[in-house]
Amino acid sequence: MTGSDTIISLRQIKKSFGSTEVLHGIDLDVHAGSHTVIFGPSGSGKSTVLRTMNLLEKPNSGSICFENREYGPGLDGSELVRGKPIELRRRVGMVFQQFNLFPHFSAIDNIAIPLATVTGISKSDARERGAIELKKVGLLPWAASYPSQLSGGQQQRVAIARALSMDPTLMLFDEPTSALDPELVGEVLSVMRALAESGMTMVVVTHEMNFAKEIGDQHIFMEAGNIVATGDANFFDNCNNERARQFIGSVL
Amino acid sequence: MWHLIWDYRGELIQGLWTAVAVSITALFLSLFIGLVFALAKMSRFAFFRGISTIYVNIFRGIPALVSVIWVYFGWSLLFGKNFTVYQAGVIALTLLYSAFFSEIFRSALQAIHKGQREAGMALGMTRIRIFRSIIMPQGLKIAIPNIGSMYIGMIKDTSTFAVIGLAEVVRVTQTINSQYFQPFVLYTAAALLYVAIAFLVDYIFKGFESTITYPSNGIIYRFLTRKKRAHIQELVDANS
Repeated sequence: MTGSDTIISLRQIKKSFGSTEVLHGIDLDVHAGSHTVIFGPSGSGKSTVLRTMNLLEKPNSGSICFENREYGPGLDGSELVRGKPIELRRRVGMVFQQFNLFPHFSAIDNIAIPLATVTGISKSDARERGAIELKKVGLLPWAASYPSQLSGGQQQRVAIARALSMDPTLMLFDEPTSALDPELVGEVLSVMRALAESGMTMVVVTHEMNFAKEIGDQHIFMEAGNIVATGDANFFDNCNNERARQFIGSVL
Repeated sequence: MWHLIWDYRGELIQGLWTAVAVSITALFLSLFIGLVFALAKMSRFAFFRGISTIYVNIFRGIPALVSVIWVYFGWSLLFGKNFTVYQAGVIALTLLYSAFFSEIFRSALQAIHKGQREAGMALGMTRIRIFRSIIMPQGLKIAIPNIGSMYIGMIKDTSTFAVIGLAEVVRVTQTINSQYFQPFVLYTAAALLYVAIAFLVDYIFKGFESTITYPSNGIIYRFLTRKKRAHIQELVDANS
């Protein structure tokens, strides 16, 4: 663990699918209140890195350090207590490219039912919380609607509200706007912008380079399973890595 | 001639009722056992997968007639316990249809997008809770039409239990026929009874299907969820 304001650290994360190694030893720190953007070409491993942060992908070796506990298989010789994935996941929220709303629950129940079952509060208290979260993303009038009745942008906003209802310390976004029609992207980015301004620690994998430039204060460029270049908020202007400049140039 | 059907309507309907009773009992048992075998087939442990595969592959291939004779006569000799014809019928049907339902459940559960499970995990829900609240309801929705048509097959399979003396439709028809020798009339009636029950089962299962659409609009659904919907409406009004 480094400084006390580091929310999550990845140390030497290696991951293989079958015999193919897709992450070759990733080191990454995310500080409290920061907005980290991970970008790069397809197959670079950026989604895998993100999904390692809430242990949806279990690394083959390496350590995840979160809130003073270590998770994952570890570097050899680690003495700290190793935590259970479910404890990590209850403190970290994730928003998926495909939204993954539960189709058999209304918008408000998508928030309330998981909240009630995980925290143990009553369903009606959970629904009250659900109403508050829906109001924050501007969807309260659609509380009783089902996902099939909502547009993609609305569904993603409900998904964000659902993740936020657990009061996470860290929010992960896996290409949140990639599956949206262009005219719906803006409403989701507005919600994310407001979240960033409120001080939430966020890690975002995205192709929306303008948005990344706007909110990112740590930029990470990955290619072929390695972190190739990193930078702060001025990364896009001051970047001196050839490959990263090439990629940014082709996108922006 | 045709008056025979009316005269013996009581016995014929009773026979149909017996067929339905045996098949409904077997339905509940085989749905439960089928689900267990489906989960075993999807397990991480090769042992469970193996047992499930063997069971399903064997019992899918056995005809109901063979199964019921095997259970009624064969098991009694082996276990020294006499089953009633009713029990033997239920067991025979359950053995076969657990195998079918296992495959129906397995394909229904595997048809669910894996993002559903990932979303549950990302929210910190336990595996059991994810299965209960997220996966199983969606799996049932996919499986119910198939279960309905399988059940009609089960009712028809009870016709073979005439050979062990179960007093279902075919047996009753045989008995009447042995007195009056009017097979065309009597077996037409038998066939119509099966057709009638098939229509009824189909209607009932279509009812189940429409209950599980999202959003559901049935009268029963609206009645059962009135408190929940009122509460949600209150919350919307209060916070607007």
